[in-house]
Amino acid sequence: MYWLSGDKVSLLVDRLAEDYAVYGPRRDEVSGEVIFDRLNLLSRLDLQAAIPYNPPKYVLFPQYEEIIKYLYERQSRKVTIEKIDKLQPKALIGLRACDLTGILCLDRFFLGQEFVDEVYLEHRQKLFLISNTCVRPFPQCFCVCTDSGPAAREGFDLDLTFTGQGYLVLVGSRKGQRLVEEIGLQEAGPEAMARRKKIIDESVSSFDNFALENKAWISRATNRLTTGFIKPEVWEYIGNQCFECGACSFVCPTCSCFNVEDVNRMGGATDRVRTWDSCSFEGYTKMAGDHNPRKPVEDRRNKRFFCKLSYSQSKKYLRPGCVGCGRCARVCPGDIGLPNVVTYIRREITGE
Amino acid sequence: MSYYRGICNFCGTGCGHLLQVENNRVRGVYPLPGHPLSRGRLCVRGWHIHELLQTEERITRPMIKEGDSFRPVSYEEAIEFTASRLKNFRGREVACLGSPRASNEENYLFGKFARAVMKSNNLSLTSDAGLEESARILLEGCGFPAMTGSLSELRQAEFIMVVGGDLTKQNPIIASEIHFARRSGAFLATISPRKTQMARLSQKHLRPNPGTIWLLLEALARALQTEGLVKADYLDDKIENARQYLEYLDSLHLKQVSELTGVEEQEIILLARKFYESESAYVFYPVGIQSLDRRSMSALLNLFLLAGKPGRPAGGLCPVTGISNLLGSLDMGVSPAFLPGYFPADKEISWKRLEELWQVSLDRTPGQSAGSCLLENQSLRALLVVDHDEEIIRHINRIKELDFVVYFGAYQNAFAGLASVVFPRLSYVEEDGTYTNSERRVQLSQKKVEPPAGIRPLWETLSRLAGALGQPWPYKSAEDIMAEISRVVPQYSGLSYEKLRASPGIKWPVDDLHLSGTEYLLAEEAGCRFRFVFDRSPDRFQNISSVNEGRFPFKLVVGRSNYFWHQNSVMKRTFIPKREYNALLLLYPKGFVEISEEDARALGLREKQPVRIISEAAEIKLAARISPDILPGMLYIPYFIEEMISGFLHHQASDLEKNEEFFLPVRLEKVE
Repeated sequence: MYWLSGDKVSLLVDRLAEDYAVYGPRRDEVSGEVIFDRLNLLSRLDLQAAIPYNPPKYVLFPQYEEIIKYLYERQSRKVTIEKIDKLQPKALIGLRACDLTGILCLDRFFLGQEFVDEVYLEHRQKLFLISNTCVRPFPQCFCVCTDSGPAAREGFDLDLTFTGQGYLVLVGSRKGQRLVEEIGLQEAGPEAMARRKKIIDESVSSFDNFALENKAWISRATNRLTTGFIKPEVWEYIGNQCFECGACSFVCPTCSCFNVEDVNRMGGATDRVRTWDSCSFEGYTKMAGDHNPRKPVEDRRNKRFFCKLSYSQSKKYLRPGCVGCGRCARVCPGDIGLPNVVTYIRREITGE
Repeated sequence: MSYYRGICNFCGTGCGHLLQVENNRVRGVYPLPGHPLSRGRLCVRGWHIHELLQTEERITRPMIKEGDSFRPVSYEEAIEFTASRLKNFRGREVACLGSPRASNEENYLFGKFARAVMKSNNLSLTSDAGLEESARILLEGCGFPAMTGSLSELRQAEFIMVVGGDLTKQNPIIASEIHFARRSGAFLATISPRKTQMARLSQKHLRPNPGTIWLLLEALARALQTEGLVKADYLDDKIENARQYLEYLDSLHLKQVSELTGVEEQEIILLARKFYESESAYVFYPVGIQSLDRRSMSALLNLFLLAGKPGRPAGGLCPVTGISNLLGSLDMGVSPAFLPGYFPADKEISWKRLEELWQVSLDRTPGQSAGSCLLENQSLRALLVVDHDEEIIRHINRIKELDFVVYFGAYQNAFAGLASVVFPRLSYVEEDGTYTNSERRVQLSQKKVEPPAGIRPLWETLSRLAGALGQPWPYKSAEDIMAEISRVVPQYSGLSYEKLRASPGIKWPVDDLHLSGTEYLLAEEAGCRFRFVFDRSPDRFQNISSVNEGRFPFKLVVGRSNYFWHQNSVMKRTFIPKREYNALLLLYPKGFVEISEEDARALGLREKQPVRIISEAAEIKLAARISPDILPGMLYIPYFIEEMISGFLHHQASDLEKNEEFFLPVRLEKVE
């Protein structure tokens, strides 16, 4: 464990900016809200800011990304396929634990199974990740229910915990170790580990006071979703309120579904483009021959929550598919973010 | 790759978004947290605007048509050529079609070009008819032409009534605010023949037969009267023609209304009571592509006045615009009826004022909409069009006969092919501009990316054209134009880019009395007394009774779908919204007609079975789609099916555009 005093943060960031494009939380000038963004001005980084409105998912799984380019030569009747330009190394600073967990879920999806996604892999290999412990939860948070916070346990290169004066720095990788040595951080002393644990424990126990938007009942809902004992009327009630915008998937740190389109460019070449997709759309599950196994909106909603919370799906991620960040609740026009859905399931169980 | 604040350009909600820009391209979009209206939400369209903004199907150079193809030319040549041709046309020979997707600055200048340079008052937008009608009625009834309430107060609402359309599809984020209001305790009622999602989210859904919404609304007013909730003395004091209106209502019998509308008398009374008892009330109705008809809109105004609702906070009469800057375009006077700032075109004083401000003489000949010109005006010879969806294409034959057509557009589309000259236009992220949403919120959208090389802003193209036609204009930027707008349009008099840059939008009127804008219409400020707006026709049931004939027993209603408005050339350039549209078209390649479960059973129809729809004038073959959302006796066709618009509905298309109450008497036959 190392010690980074508050005034040395810029040293760390400047060093990273030499090798990486730096991303982190910044505040919007007009609304004051927090956005996870490329920091064109490094001084805009705000490690004390609340959980950003957007997850960092887009950095390694962009909303719109050309993955290959191909050209058919009519004369020679040959197709040439090109990989898209080399990707830039990126450093993500100030990741909240839930968002780091989200990246680990994406890893499981894109890298952890039979096929490895090369485009994702390249993004991922060039990342430098610095997490930031939530010393106090935010109103929409419920990471303690989904085992993904308030502090990171794995997956970071460096991990920061704010003590009031500066940061305790935990090293998580060789890359991280090198950086710490390069900028000459001092050891934090023998009691640092205990100090970090105390800060985290205090944060966990303050959820009752601060995380007031969500009183979810995740474990029972998980059980219920897995066994499938939820009445169809509950899903219909939820489905009626779905505006089919896709926002819940787009803002979810773990949602990994994508669509692939071939776009003909001026000049004859074609780009194969990958874009975010969502299970809330009717076209998403439509098959050839007009068959759609999830045509009604409530069936589509049902599948999403199954994906986020059921045991069987959790086996895929080796953890729940929900990381407790509360974003889906904030962006949902129908007010059926995951915490509300869990509430409706609870009501069904308890008969409230 | 960084996020920049902006405003969504699809519907008239005007949600805040963040656009992600990388290497001068918009690569992503995210809802803007903290926007006072959208509060960090977007709909399916808004979530995919970056796909549209990446299209390469742009118009990048001025072009002149030679034979069947276009020759790319320099701006100088295009302007000289266009000016030399436009010189030959004046007044009634010219029609100008502005774009409700273009900014206030562009529309203002386009209107000025039409009136001051071309001396033509044939100036309109395609989908404006409903909004213009609504503005006229609201002006007459309460002296204020637009939404009298404010959407940012919606969550404090006590009573909300949504009449016609389906807001969850047309303006999803406004519908979302209504949904949140209901969840925090408001009473929500929907009046629509279809069982829309809005209806499913409501506590009360009244389903009048197609074509009888206006009657149901008059019946609600009548119920206030029969229930003894109307105080004639009080009304006399506030409303000029109260006695006459009450007399007009006297002759309405709820029992008869109940038979004609298919809504139970008791239901009418209960809703009227609920409306009356709430401290304040919001009433929403769609204007734009599809809109309530004049009778329904005035009945709604009258009901609102009769129940004593105007001038209270957390309430209002709310026309909802379907396209981003529809309201702003009307504010700028892109209309045959209004000069900029809602000065009526039939009053000499309006013209005198404008002549003084513009320092140019203007022609007073009453104008028509571009659509009516194409249908009726035989002297029409030249047409000027700004960025258009392909809807106008249905006048294709008439357009081909014209001597000269100018198109100013950002994207390639079928209409551009009809033009004699094409000028490129910037997309809304390539130039500063203000856009005015349904609730009168004027928002500044700032430039985020550099345009493709060589494309000049529309204001510059128009200025150069005006110069070539002998009227040099002084504008150096969009900001300059806003400075002029603030002198010409009184509602905008307190607005400037400086003020707008640091704000999430300001609701007009913004003037000396309302420095930071206006939330809702204050009754005492309206200055005039209120008026009921109604026509005392001898037989109000005339049109209803003629419908129930044996030959055409079904009422065919046409509606908008979530992903597609008309054959939206905008949506076709996205992936996901296009896929969702294609998903429907793959199922029903030739389009579909929705029919109730009851009627399908009675006729022995199966899902997807081909049927023939026959009206007085035309027929069309479609697949049947059996839907629980449809009333028996009603058929529903979504508006995006091309063949419907160009062929089958062609003759009725202008009625359809004006009026959401529009229905077509048809019969349905199975195709054997």
